[in-house]
Amino acid sequence: MATTADTFQAHTDEHHHDADHKPSFFARWFMSTNHKDIGTLYIIFSIFAGIVGGAISGLMRAELAEPGVQLMGQVTAWLNGGSMDFDQQLHTWNVLITAHGVIMVFFVVMPATMGGFANWFVPLMIGAPDMAFPRMNNIAFWMLMAAFGSLLLSFFFPGGIGQGAGTGWTIYAPLSTSGSVGPAVDFAIFAIHLSGASSIMSSINFITTIFNMRAPGMTLHKMPLFAWSVLVTAFLLLLALPVLAAAITMLLTDRNFGTTFFDASGGGDPVLYQHLFWFFGHPEVYIMILPGFGIISQIVATFSRKPVFGYLGMAYAMVAIGVVGFIVWAHHMFTVGMDVNTKMYFTAATMVIAVPTGIKIFSWIATMWGGSLEFKSPLVWALGFIFLFTVGGVTGVVLANGGIDDNLHDTYYVVAHFHYVLSLGAVFTLFAGFFYWFPKMSGRMHSELLAHIQFWVFFIGVNIIFFPQHFLGMNGMPRRYPDYTPAFQYWNEISSWGVPIMAASLVIFFINMAYAFTAGKKAPANYWGDGATTLEWSLSSPPPYHQFETLPVIEDHHSHHDAIGPTPAKA
Amino acid sequence: MKLGDFARNRLHILPSIAALLALLAAPQVSLAAAPQAATQATESSAEAPAADARSPNVADATAPAAEAAEGSTVEAAPADAATDYTPLGPEWIKGAPESGALTFQEQFSADGEFALFMHDAILMPIITAICLLVLALLIWVVVRYNRRANPVPSKTSHNTLIEVIWTVVPVLLLVVIAIPSITLLARQYESPPADALTVKATGYQWYWGYTYPDNGGFEVISNMLDEGEAIARGEPAQLAVDNRMVVPAGEPIRIQVAGADVIHSFGIPSLWFKIDAVPGRINERMLFIKEPGIYYGQCMELCGARHAYMPIAIEAVPRPRFEAWVRSKGGTLGEPDPTAPAPETPLQEPESSIEGAPGAGAPPTEDTAPGQEA
Amino acid sequence: MAFIGVGLALGMLGLGYAAVPLYDLFCRVTGFGGTTQVATEAQAATAAAQASSAGAPVMSIRFDANTARDMPWQFKPRQVTDKVQIGQRDLAIYEAKNLSAVPITGTATFNVEPKQAGKYFNKIQCFCFTEQTLQPGQEVSMPVLYYVDPAALDDPNMKGVEQITLSYTFHRSK
Repeated sequence: MATTADTFQAHTDEHHHDADHKPSFFARWFMSTNHKDIGTLYIIFSIFAGIVGGAISGLMRAELAEPGVQLMGQVTAWLNGGSMDFDQQLHTWNVLITAHGVIMVFFVVMPATMGGFANWFVPLMIGAPDMAFPRMNNIAFWMLMAAFGSLLLSFFFPGGIGQGAGTGWTIYAPLSTSGSVGPAVDFAIFAIHLSGASSIMSSINFITTIFNMRAPGMTLHKMPLFAWSVLVTAFLLLLALPVLAAAITMLLTDRNFGTTFFDASGGGDPVLYQHLFWFFGHPEVYIMILPGFGIISQIVATFSRKPVFGYLGMAYAMVAIGVVGFIVWAHHMFTVGMDVNTKMYFTAATMVIAVPTGIKIFSWIATMWGGSLEFKSPLVWALGFIFLFTVGGVTGVVLANGGIDDNLHDTYYVVAHFHYVLSLGAVFTLFAGFFYWFPKMSGRMHSELLAHIQFWVFFIGVNIIFFPQHFLGMNGMPRRYPDYTPAFQYWNEISSWGVPIMAASLVIFFINMAYAFTAGKKAPANYWGDGATTLEWSLSSPPPYHQFETLPVIEDHHSHHDAIGPTPAKA
Repeated sequence: MKLGDFARNRLHILPSIAALLALLAAPQVSLAAAPQAATQATESSAEAPAADARSPNVADATAPAAEAAEGSTVEAAPADAATDYTPLGPEWIKGAPESGALTFQEQFSADGEFALFMHDAILMPIITAICLLVLALLIWVVVRYNRRANPVPSKTSHNTLIEVIWTVVPVLLLVVIAIPSITLLARQYESPPADALTVKATGYQWYWGYTYPDNGGFEVISNMLDEGEAIARGEPAQLAVDNRMVVPAGEPIRIQVAGADVIHSFGIPSLWFKIDAVPGRINERMLFIKEPGIYYGQCMELCGARHAYMPIAIEAVPRPRFEAWVRSKGGTLGEPDPTAPAPETPLQEPESSIEGAPGAGAPPTEDTAPGQEA
Repeated sequence: MAFIGVGLALGMLGLGYAAVPLYDLFCRVTGFGGTTQVATEAQAATAAAQASSAGAPVMSIRFDANTARDMPWQFKPRQVTDKVQIGQRDLAIYEAKNLSAVPITGTATFNVEPKQAGKYFNKIQCFCFTEQTLQPGQEVSMPVLYYVDPAALDDPNMKGVEQITLSYTFHRSK
């Protein structure tokens, strides 16, 4: 782009002559050590897993469209070799909710944010030639494939009454130990083990990359907020996942080797499992959303043509969310039977998280305030995210009150809440990031028109699905039910009607992709213009196979915010 | 929007905000309220005839009428109806979900009323205002600061004052929330008096058992009625049970909850009451039901295949009627004589096991139910 | 950096496992989750002396018995409730009978409600300290010797507590 005489352009060598030498197809995609190729693999996998997880949720909403159990029979017959006993059908439902949760958390959101976007853009943004441990990067990806395989295998093994693991993604003991006999749960646990190990390796890789491989002059306080978000997330993963690994390993030994860590009959305590699980599980929700926060910060700044408002506040708000995220876990267990002081503590601590989250929301708005907004698709998705995440966030404040939670715990209100922050929050950031960077990754422009249409259709669809679930939850509909009393039909039916709308938006997405790869215009280096100032925009689209063979130097222009947002005056 | 339920049901709390919200939420409220109102009207006006109309399908055609008569005089029911106890009829259903409802079920416990008040008067206004504020700010930046309206962006990236404000104001709001929240928790954790009636609810895969240790220790096994039978009795399908948990209304009750196999959760939305049933320990909470009625609840923690099919139905009746019920179950009243041997607790023999044994998952029937009092 | 990262991960993994004994210890020390305390005769005597000089009030104690689903025992307290002066020791009897045709060994888990009473509920002797084996048809009476620590009187969290429930669940030993 002629208009973008980027601050960094002068320092990046034009080294396309030999940097673009690519290995053969097999070596490139199966033995890849290139962060961009691995990132691409993660994104493709995440989209694939998203289709699987989304199809499952479509099936679930179809089942819930009316009272009674209608659709589980076919699935049950398929899984159980023809047998479709009623209890097996109910078990199939539990298998679906389990699979939906595990897939969406471990195989869609995390691979897309940390695997896909972070792999692609952290090295580019900090001016590094690649990740610190390229081979570990590769093995982490393929371990995730093995994990997904193990999860899929679990469907075809007995897990108690029917085939598959029907324990919920939380795998609470003793339902997951003495309550689910058969290898299915072992396979599911093993899947989580493998994906956890994969994420731990990735985290170490990101932390090392960010600490050791920043280009000269790229201090931590000049680093783009997306890199900050990945750094915080990597630490959360590193601290939280081993605890989960320990917990589910103890589940495995309880299941198979007669230990009684979580079994009351041997002096264990099932509640301890919940403590361990949620010690991981709460940071996990921030693991899913923090990279999204980073993406939104980049996008909002880019399309406002302004530096991010309150950069340091934004960075340390994420650190604060990460730290506080470790001391609030028991709000997931408010009804488990805890004494009043414990419950009061967790109520108060949980509410504290609203403060840094609010700082982020308001800082994004302040970034746009006085800006020169250009409503390209990434910004539209980002605006949608900011509003919907607020809605999901405030219902979180309601749930944080232990006394209020006594009625809402394990109801659809909780389902609505976490889908607003994840399905409408994290997924909106994924689409925002995708349209922001897709031309950079592929070298082809997508259709902005289709991306806008997709946004509106998706926005309407997911709101129709999830908003009525607040009403259902307040009225008392429990989670994880395949069937319900007729009074709940009204909103369930409406909720289910959102699914075809959401599905239509995904069809638009794939049409857009088909368009981009067949007829999309070639993308220039910086197709978003002046506002896009981070290092990846100084490279061609797609970037050379090996970038920054000579490290870019980030100069200090008095104000350290130049690194994240040089003003157009410099252009 | 969350405005709908607020505007619809809580006008008396904060009329001014509610009016504003009602204005904003008008389309949605009318959408939601219209069919609901219609349903309610049909239900209430057609309740008795509907029961009659259905009754030819069941053997005991006179039952609904008899129950209706009995139920309507429940306040004055004689205490000496010794062994013959007639459960409350469907017109006593108070705590049940409503079709198309936008908010919580009506509350029938003091804590529930306080919690609902806190939600409606404190939480809802705050969270609605926050959502509207964010929405308004977003609309404003979209309108005012788009590229056409504002071609040259400002360079502002700091404003200490505003940053302090948006840190401090949320903190203050949280304090406003925290005070009633802590109060609510303290109230929910009040200890029942020593002489409060104790009921132990045990979660089994997949039914509930209610033991009355102060009344001889008998256990009532409560299974879900199938759809046809529930409708025949005029009760909602999937909430109706064969044997309800009968308790006295208007006095504190000590509810103790335990899990026999996996974790279940004892939740009744209209009483703002939920406590997990964990194997190997009991959890206790005080329950105070203000008035006689039937209050439905469900298992709220994933417990296996029939998780959705183990509802809870609490029948709260005046004390004399409760005593009549206890006698009809062969239970005792008053302090058990310490010298007499305690009545034999029926052994809990699991009818359904989790391990795919023959008959796995089958809820016990009248004949096979453990601890079933004839 | 990578080594620090690996170290952190391994450290957290270790902490994850360490959580089991630590949680157990934490519960036993603080009475968290209604875990009862174990006292010696000497401690009991001190408590009794302290309480009687202070004229401690009476506390109602409820005895609750459960059996796991695969446990073919009949298990119940001889007395459902009892009144005991705070600080004074009391003996409660539970009765158990093996209804099956094989010898069965059981262990009991226990807690008290309300949970904040856990750290004041002291057991001097309890059948739950060891495994119990019952022959087919055998019936036993099992004692619990306990007292409520007078320190409970000074704890604001114990205000309004009129009854403490001691609950046992018998499980088949593994």
